[in-house]
Amino acid sequence: MRNHIVKFILLISISVALGICSRFIGLSSHQALAVAIFAVSILGTLFFWDFRLSFAFIGTSILLFTRTIDLENAIRFSSLEIILFLVGMMVLIGLLKDAGLFAWLVSLILRIRNLTAKKFLIAIAIISALLACAVDEVTSIVFMVAAILEICDYFEVDPVPFIIGSVLTTNIGSSGTVLGNPIGILIAAKSGLSFEDFIVKAFPLMLICLAVTIFILVIWYRKALTQLDRRIKELGSNEILIRLISVPAERQLMVCLAIFGATLFFISLHHRLELILGLETNTVLLIVPLISSGAVMAWKWRKAREYIEKDVEWWTLIFFLFLFIQAGTLKYTGATDVFAKRLLEVVKHNPTALTGMVLWMSTIGSSILDNVVLVAAFVPIVQSLKELGFALQPLWWALLFGGCFGGNITMVGSTANIVALGILEKERNIRMTFFEWFWIGLTVGLITTVIVWLALLFLPFYR
Amino acid sequence: MKVKEIMTKEIVSVKPEDNAKEALGLLFKMRISGLPVIDSKGKLVGMFTEKDVLRHILPSYLEKVGRFVYEENPKSIKKKFQDLVNLSVAKLMRREVVTIDENTTLCEAARLMLTQKLRRAPVLNKEGKMVGIVARGDVLKALTGEYSV
Repeated sequence: MRNHIVKFILLISISVALGICSRFIGLSSHQALAVAIFAVSILGTLFFWDFRLSFAFIGTSILLFTRTIDLENAIRFSSLEIILFLVGMMVLIGLLKDAGLFAWLVSLILRIRNLTAKKFLIAIAIISALLACAVDEVTSIVFMVAAILEICDYFEVDPVPFIIGSVLTTNIGSSGTVLGNPIGILIAAKSGLSFEDFIVKAFPLMLICLAVTIFILVIWYRKALTQLDRRIKELGSNEILIRLISVPAERQLMVCLAIFGATLFFISLHHRLELILGLETNTVLLIVPLISSGAVMAWKWRKAREYIEKDVEWWTLIFFLFLFIQAGTLKYTGATDVFAKRLLEVVKHNPTALTGMVLWMSTIGSSILDNVVLVAAFVPIVQSLKELGFALQPLWWALLFGGCFGGNITMVGSTANIVALGILEKERNIRMTFFEWFWIGLTVGLITTVIVWLALLFLPFYR
Repeated sequence: MKVKEIMTKEIVSVKPEDNAKEALGLLFKMRISGLPVIDSKGKLVGMFTEKDVLRHILPSYLEKVGRFVYEENPKSIKKKFQDLVNLSVAKLMRREVVTIDENTTLCEAARLMLTQKLRRAPVLNKEGKMVGIVARGDVLKALTGEYSV
């Protein structure tokens, strides 16, 4: 209890201090209030995870009550299009789970023939990254951890190196497409970047970082790999694992796969369809999951309510909605314009230094904070830089990669880390220490961020 | 009619520090699915049920992975069963327990059992001490007896 009181006092003191400091650097009272309220949401997420929605509700109400923002603009900044996109994707993922698709993927991993330790590590790294691209990182990490625990149990080896490997590559993979991480769709919606832009520019860079990470993992965990190889030789092939679970190859699973495949197909073509149909940028991207989930709910009408009530993470989405309003208020009051100007003064109006600064700030920031909170704060600042005549593309990519890769540095850096470590603790009673994660996380986090930095600096492609 | 008139007054319970495997053996012996857990001060601190044991031995991510069929028994289940010897009842028991006051009416007890999905509930007196246990069947039998023509 005392700990909570100290944290609460700290939260209020820092937020008030930020508000007062903002006044001193020339911000108006409304701008300073917007800064202080946004700080409460950030610190509330950090210190009081279970109460973050409560802070978001009260904070946004204060902004409306004090006329820091009006209702019309609050609704405009709530980015309902992003929330609806995520709702559609979550319904679709719920259907896939219900049909047994993820269990089928687990069974495929369990059935790897002529298993060797290196083959296993490389396979889980690649599958983790690609699945995080196709679904979201939190969904994919659950069944990756399930498969890893079954295999490590069977061969009686420590699952920790493989779980860490899977989580690190999941976070890296989540930067490859718009679908991998909520910050992907947030950046796409705010920047106008299309799915195709992500595939052409983010995906190849993600693959390079993935390859480097696999190389690091193979060296870092060479002892664990030797031990697994020894156990594989002792126990023979994974015959029992091959037969362990089955998913009836029903028509339903095939139909679900077809719906998901069609969704991915139309999402990948959204930019071209928008051009052909003369629609606003990203309209098709945002409505495709809604059409698919609408079709799913018509098909499975008896379960439609369940998909909406249980599979949609309302707790998280409503927090995002209020967070976007608060970040929008920073823009609406002009606070972000002031921050953008100050940022330019710090980097002496040098675009290269600015890109590096945004990349490293988002990397370090998202190693401690929820990356959505961080990116939501940066988006209006980056938008303000456009008005000052800066090319924004490298900054959007810096935000995306920093937000995703920074999550690898600490064990609380991303939701995927927290989910995987939670399962590990519950299932195997293994409580990872901060440094057990930190050294490998820091190594991978720093090296992959440096790769992205070099690409953003030297490849004109990203400008 | 009140709950205190139909409850079972001879309470068989386990202590939080009891061995989980022995407590499971007691469930089998008594042919019941759950037992109250009472500490050294006589305070009800939880319920130890078959469901809690099943929850422990099966993977926690089962529901999140989705639909599948176990064709073989995973190795982890055997290990978790063996681990039961080293676990205390406190590690597995459910701590949030719905209790019923001894002066509760039968209809209210039935309502609680239906809405809270209870099979049985510990009965407490005014001092908060456990004085009995009432099962869903006891309530239904008493209601049948009271309202049958």
